Amino acid sequence: MADQKESFEAKDFGWMVAMSLLFFVLVAVGFWLEYSTDWGTYQRTFPGLLGHYGKVEEARNFRAGIRQIWIPQMGVTDRCVTCHLGYEWASVLPATIAEPLKPHPMNDWLAKHEFARFGCTPCHGGDGAATSVIGAHQGGRGWEDPMLSRALAARNGLTMNEMIQMRCNFCHRHDVATPGMEQINLAKQLFKKKKCLVCHVVEGRGGATGAELTYEGDRNPELLNFAHVRGERTMFNWNVQHLTQASVVSPGTQMPDFNFKPDESRALTLLLLSWRRLPYPPEYIPDPEVAAAAMQPSPTPTATPTPAATPPPH
Amino acid sequence: MDGDRRKVLRLIGKGSVLAAFLAQIGAAGRAFFPNVLYEPPSRFKIKRPDDYPDGYTLDAAHRLYVVRQKDAFHVISAVCTHLGCNVQWSDTEFDCPCHGSRFRPDGTVISGPAPRPLEWFATSVSPDGFLEVDSGTEVARGFRLIAGKGNA
Amino acid sequence: MADKLKALWRKTFWAWSPESERESSEAIVRNFWLHWFPAKVARASMDWNYSFWLGTASAALLLILTVTGVMLMFFYVPSTERAYGSIKDLEYAVSFGRLLRNQHRWAAEGMVAVVYIHMARVFFTGAYRGTRAINWVVGVVLFLSTLFLSFTGYLLPWDQLAFWAITVGTSIAKQAPLVGPTVQFILLGGHEIGQQTLLRFYVLHVFFLPVFVWVLFGYHMWRVRKDGGLAAIERVRDARTMIPKTTPASKSYSLFGITPGTSVQVMSSTGLEESDQVFSSPNMSRRIALVFLVVFNITLLAALLFNAPLEGLANPSVTPNPAKAPWYFVWLQELVASTTVRIGGFTVSGALLGGILLPGFLLGVLTLWPWLDRSPLRTQGRWLAPERKRQNVTFAVATLLIIVLIMVGVYLRGPYWRIYWPGQARPETPRLY
Repeated sequence: MADQKESFEAKDFGWMVAMSLLFFVLVAVGFWLEYSTDWGTYQRTFPGLLGHYGKVEEARNFRAGIRQIWIPQMGVTDRCVTCHLGYEWASVLPATIAEPLKPHPMNDWLAKHEFARFGCTPCHGGDGAATSVIGAHQGGRGWEDPMLSRALAARNGLTMNEMIQMRCNFCHRHDVATPGMEQINLAKQLFKKKKCLVCHVVEGRGGATGAELTYEGDRNPELLNFAHVRGERTMFNWNVQHLTQASVVSPGTQMPDFNFKPDESRALTLLLLSWRRLPYPPEYIPDPEVAAAAMQPSPTPTATPTPAATPPPH
Repeated sequence: MDGDRRKVLRLIGKGSVLAAFLAQIGAAGRAFFPNVLYEPPSRFKIKRPDDYPDGYTLDAAHRLYVVRQKDAFHVISAVCTHLGCNVQWSDTEFDCPCHGSRFRPDGTVISGPAPRPLEWFATSVSPDGFLEVDSGTEVARGFRLIAGKGNA
Repeated sequence: MADKLKALWRKTFWAWSPESERESSEAIVRNFWLHWFPAKVARASMDWNYSFWLGTASAALLLILTVTGVMLMFFYVPSTERAYGSIKDLEYAVSFGRLLRNQHRWAAEGMVAVVYIHMARVFFTGAYRGTRAINWVVGVVLFLSTLFLSFTGYLLPWDQLAFWAITVGTSIAKQAPLVGPTVQFILLGGHEIGQQTLLRFYVLHVFFLPVFVWVLFGYHMWRVRKDGGLAAIERVRDARTMIPKTTPASKSYSLFGITPGTSVQVMSSTGLEESDQVFSSPNMSRRIALVFLVVFNITLLAALLFNAPLEGLANPSVTPNPAKAPWYFVWLQELVASTTVRIGGFTVSGALLGGILLPGFLLGVLTLWPWLDRSPLRTQGRWLAPERKRQNVTFAVATLLIIVLIMVGVYLRGPYWRIYWPGQARPETPRLY
């Protein structure tokens, strides 16, 4: 009996010890991965930054951890601020700080679109639920709505601010023109001038010769014919070329070649892609008259505001 | 005599327990066949005929294509007859992304594993002027509904 | 106090070296964890090269899946509105949530593979003869349950990958003759995948199927003991007892009448000699612990290295191109995509032929194989016995074909299910911007 026991023990003992050690090492690696996150690094440097600019009290009270802006009525869970920690510190931190700690510029738009009511992704896009750099900015596989970064905008021949105007129009869809949304404003003018509604239905109005455009932004890019499209296979690119020379992109179409200038067709594309089915509640949809009034050039800056310029009560 | 009665009673007892159990199992099983469905009804209205342009228009919500040729309408299912993926119209044919079935514009199979042509749904104009599709009723290929003012 | 704790520790975990054989065998009976095992086990059964301990590995995976699965249940919401979000939370906001989900995912896919390889081992060693035939059938049912468990779990993340894999899978069920549409209807709880489907798959996945598998697994183990242990001992027994021996009068068991006939044959191990056997504790229990450790390590390593897939939110109006079934069903998808037969105007659906009839035939043959195998009994418990060469080759070729089909489906199929060779450029999927 003794020999048998010896033999099995001799065979298995070493392996047993090795596997136990490996188990421990793997669990340790699991812990290490869990605590060596992208955001952990930024959160460790941020209190020092606050302290450097005189906010010693706030630096001391800084608590590490995932942060989120949760706006259930908009369906928004934005964890962007887990890394973009300086976002609300524009009054203290200089704009020269590198991302992701850089403060969000405090401009007029932001004054009207508070972080707590709007979050981040409604304007910038991306996957708000993600807490990794790639996951948040690009989204995972099959995520169709990446963050509208400078690089992405540049690929489409636009600046980031111009690209974001598409998302502004999610809510500002019914404004005739909106301050600060030059691209969309131009597109809305062109849409009227070229009488698109003669052939296309938008929100129940228009002719039925062409496809309905009410939810054009929701179209599946895979349903488009890219055979005659130059460059990237994107819905943006398809629309830019289709708007300019429809006869080339869709041979046999009844749509005329409008031969828009590049910036015009890009602006129109932004407008078309902004038309999506969205779950935003009425409190987020602005009154078009407010924008119309704001667009009026006021004769003198000190003139008494006209009644129309005051926002109507909600 | 006494033994016989016992036998009968035992049989009745066993039988009723068995029957009750089977009935309970049956009742539990029956519950898995829903009596109401939270699904769109098989007969539904879509838009007015004149809201559709010439050619093939996808109605993604109802998974069908509305086809208009001047005043003639018909409705083809967008659900592949093979395994239920959505077919895509590519100006000349329907393609299925799942197993590569290809269909002619009238829904008949060009190639691929699809066993049957795409279904044509019975279509009519409702009294209030909308196209009404009955996805529970198939019609023959060649079916045409004349509607619309022919402004296309 | 310390002594009492020590005694409790010993009672619970059995951590001492037995002084005598009597003590050793009694320990097995007295300890709850060890009483599952026989007092002694044949040395031949302990051999790494005979069984590769694949059944034990499957049990380890089942344990991992149960523990991680129960953990996941605390975070998952089986609602079409919140399921996807709760998986996103597991990925990004729950501490160790990603690791948990990864381990569950890879253990599940590993279990499908390991259970199949275990079955292949039993086939190649002809270890399903005599009373072991029942356990072969139980094993086939366990394999099917594993597949169905994996399949029901596939829908739960409620992403595009899940939604369309289940669309394809349940549409195959619909093609079954007569009962197909009804089966699909009660599986989905309607005509299309929706809230009812998600809830049904969830309950099947977290309660009904796991309980079924655990109970059946218990029976599978019990049968192994009642059949006398692994078939490897038959080889030893043949060597020991040259004269044919009548089975001794056996104990009579009747477990809810599950077993056919009047009794279960309890194979006596009288053919084995003292030197053929070792005490199962600590020899076998230690080795089981070792296999469990190895399996834990492999799934953990996979979970650390690879992330479980998660695509965009399920969208019934957009089919991803291409839409693929889970890899273990991709071979069926290959068959389904290429077996449509047209004779004149008459068409047999590929789904019926490739999705139902052919796999049904394979499954039937597999289940009944112990009764189809006519090779001499002495082949049992032997790897690749020459007398069974034809059947072993058949099994190997069938397995190889399935693997090739899976490889083609997983690696070569691109948009519109066309073949793209490695290195050949695939058309880029159109993006939004």
